[in-house]
Amino acid sequence: MNKHLTLFGYLFVFILSFANCAFGYSESPLLSKMVKNGKLPPVESRLPQTPRVIDFAGRNLEIGKFGGTLKMLMARAKDARQMTVYGYARLLIYKPKTFEFQPDILQSFDVIQGKKFIFNLRPGHKWSDGHPFTAEDFRYWWEDVANNPKLSPVGPPKVMKVDGKLPQFRILDNLSIQYEWEKPNPDFLAALAGASPLYIYRPAHYMRQFHENFTANSELQKLVTTAKQRNWAALHNKMDNLYRNDNIDLPVLQPWVCISKSSSNRLRFKRNPFFHRIDPKGQQLPYIDEFIFGIASNKLISAKTGTGEVDLQARYLRFDDYTFLKKGEDRSPYSTRLWTTAKGSHLALFPNLNHKNKVLRSIMQDVRFRRALSMAVNRYEINQVIYYGLAIEGNNTVLPESPLYKPYYRSKWAQLNLKSANQLLDDMGLIKRDSRGIRLLPDGNPLNLIIETAGESTEQTDILELIHDSWLKIGIKIYSKPSQRNVFRNRIFSGETAISIWSGIENGLASANSSPAEFAPTTQQLLQWPKWGQHFETGGKAGQIPNDPFAMELLKLYRDWRAEPVFAKRKDIWEKVLDIHTEQVYSIGLIAGVLQPVVVSNNLKNVPIKGIYNWNPGAHFGIYSPDTFWFKTLPKNSMER
Amino acid sequence: MLSYLIHRILIMIPTLFAISIITFVIIQLPPGDYLSTYIAELQSQGENVDIAKIEALRAQYGLDKSMVEQYCFWVLGLLQGDLGFSFEYQLPVSEVVGDRLLLTLILNFTTIIFIWLVSFPIGIYSATHQYSWGDYGLTFVGFIGLATPNFLLALILLYFANVWFGTSIGGLMDPIYIDQPWSTAKFLSILEHLWVPVVVIGTSGTASMIRRLRANMLDELQKQYVITAKAKGLHPLKALIKYPLRTSLNPFIADIGNMLPQIISGSAIVSMVLSLPTTGPMLISALQSQDMYLAGSFLIFLALLTVVGMFLSDLALAWLDPRIRLGGGASK
Repeated sequence: MNKHLTLFGYLFVFILSFANCAFGYSESPLLSKMVKNGKLPPVESRLPQTPRVIDFAGRNLEIGKFGGTLKMLMARAKDARQMTVYGYARLLIYKPKTFEFQPDILQSFDVIQGKKFIFNLRPGHKWSDGHPFTAEDFRYWWEDVANNPKLSPVGPPKVMKVDGKLPQFRILDNLSIQYEWEKPNPDFLAALAGASPLYIYRPAHYMRQFHENFTANSELQKLVTTAKQRNWAALHNKMDNLYRNDNIDLPVLQPWVCISKSSSNRLRFKRNPFFHRIDPKGQQLPYIDEFIFGIASNKLISAKTGTGEVDLQARYLRFDDYTFLKKGEDRSPYSTRLWTTAKGSHLALFPNLNHKNKVLRSIMQDVRFRRALSMAVNRYEINQVIYYGLAIEGNNTVLPESPLYKPYYRSKWAQLNLKSANQLLDDMGLIKRDSRGIRLLPDGNPLNLIIETAGESTEQTDILELIHDSWLKIGIKIYSKPSQRNVFRNRIFSGETAISIWSGIENGLASANSSPAEFAPTTQQLLQWPKWGQHFETGGKAGQIPNDPFAMELLKLYRDWRAEPVFAKRKDIWEKVLDIHTEQVYSIGLIAGVLQPVVVSNNLKNVPIKGIYNWNPGAHFGIYSPDTFWFKTLPKNSMER
Repeated sequence: MLSYLIHRILIMIPTLFAISIITFVIIQLPPGDYLSTYIAELQSQGENVDIAKIEALRAQYGLDKSMVEQYCFWVLGLLQGDLGFSFEYQLPVSEVVGDRLLLTLILNFTTIIFIWLVSFPIGIYSATHQYSWGDYGLTFVGFIGLATPNFLLALILLYFANVWFGTSIGGLMDPIYIDQPWSTAKFLSILEHLWVPVVVIGTSGTASMIRRLRANMLDELQKQYVITAKAKGLHPLKALIKYPLRTSLNPFIADIGNMLPQIISGSAIVSMVLSLPTTGPMLISALQSQDMYLAGSFLIFLALLTVVGMFLSDLALAWLDPRIRLGGGASK
């Protein structure tokens, strides 16, 4: 037996040395050391047979060298999950610039008529503990987690249902799987590529120990008691989160693996020796050996960043920190870059079309009123006063970088014109005014509007102060009322809030393949029509049926878009959606494209000078592959200490 | 004496019981629960929330039960030494707290020592040199300490500590020592960082302590026995220390009970600003996200600390000052 093993070992070494010449893979010195000590298999057997080669030339990246520790700051230990966002290893990912899908963990994928999805894994791909990543991991999730009534009492996630129906799941072979729905599922790929993605796989070999189908009851009970959980299902759900990085024993597929407890004050992530990406020279990514998240109160983060304590930082920095950070460049070797953000509007006003009060509701639902409000906002002034003129003015809609963009989407009804605004309000019959010049509502009350904020930044109240002055000129008096985020939302949902201020649509970079869900009343979370959204969301169990023909039309278009697999026709649908949205002014966009300061150490290479800082699509730094970032001169490596 | 002790200890039980009810109810008072905070947070990150899933979580956490049931569940756990489960960290409370408790105690203990060390000599000096330049000057400094908002002072000191001494901003130690085992270097690094929060939290306490000691001393110094002692040629230092000082020591001891909660609540805000790894910031974030078992267990712990602190200071006072009678109720 022993002899066989040695023989096999020699053979193995021989093949490997051969393979080494053939592919020429290389690895971080940190890992070479472990390979030499026999703690790790050599790099060729750690990488999949066909690793993903990052397109360095196309992305203008420099080939780097290994090593170093990247320091960043976060506000809470919970932010460990940001590492999953930045790591951005997904089944498929968005390409930078074009925002098209591209396989990452998958070797390839096929979509047939938008209904059938075939995923092919990379042969030889391994979890961070070295165990093979196969179709079994997908099966485990689908059959033993998502469809297990104890683990998922409400069944698989919403994205997995089309008109309430689940897909047919099939294992084609050990490395390919297929999901097939009766109707197209346009959200599926986007969900897999998201910043906080839908995980349709689990490390089955690790998770089985927490599952009642695979582990004897007595052993499971022991685990449950030591972890102080209610039952095995709670324990399983606690241990299996691939997004949160809160279980250091859970194998992952990300470039860096968490090695600190979730209650820690300093989170460390060390490189995943089995990561599947390489650079064109055959060096296994990531370049950087270790990430460290220091935890500091979020108000201190800009101050700490300014003293050069970090190598890379964008989260918790705001545009108003820019001047301070710029000044710190004299003392510490870093540069402050400004990236664009991709929300349709940095801030927008949301008239509540589902207000409780009948009189207010009817004027909110009158498009003339919303247009008048929009035309009475001096966006130029807001931009100059608060954003140094660096933001984009206009409606809450797609950004100029989006392939769907047309200039009038942004400008129509968004030019300051007090005369037309007054005319529109007069046409509505709101002619009578009180002694202060405030218009009177049909029920005789003055048009005092309360704009509610979540009370989180003075920026919002500053803007409202500016809007207050120009709206006064069309006979509307506003008061701003800060509250607290939960209360803020619940008041809007119940129809107590007249107008709210919040950020606009999430994905300002929409392409014809992105979902137009944010433009139609599809969920309660859309602040201009919460009850209509709730009606759609709950399938008519709660909320109200939209009584606005255009909102109904948007819902119809949304349904059409979902059922339409052809790209060109999807584009037509999007155009109609954006047209209606522009004309109906359901939300009043203020400014967009507010810049995000990104502090980058001068020592850190491959971080783009100009970038887009967005959550979805984008995953903040994730889309720019932090695994390709590298240090020119190596700072002290804390892994070796 | 023994019956007094037993009486005091027995009284602590209903006190803590009442406190537990009040804290639990107050934590639950704001609308919503931990899950509504959770939903809002997911929303702000642009994530989708499945309402059905939230309902399932609510049932799993037992948040759908009545407040009374939830309270009983928590208190029964407490009695068995189980501090409950933190929703936010997905860990038992005892594990979340971990090292923070020790660091909190170190910080608060050092602060008390700092207050005593500073206010003791200054208080005596101000009293013996009443209305002199030194008295006015030190009083002025003391009042500035009292009047300056803690967090502002914290930020200023932080900035200068960083610019002049290169101390990293915030935290109780240099980042490289976090999560490392205790060592001399780590201890020194803590000392290097500790002085800022200690000075900041201590200043307001120092000012009031100086004033109280000064007032008490002045009362004593004018008494006839002091004059007699001086007239008889007792050494001025001895005439000061032997009697007047001892009688005016009461506030130092009596204040232990008062000072504990004050310092702990005061240090919460400063800890927030300085991002210290103490219990304060954790308590605040637990309250914000309505992580009720974490917040509740913390508050109960603080309450316990206060009640015990009061008890100890009363005992010490009784031992120090024979004029104080035990069981005040009897003399009514």
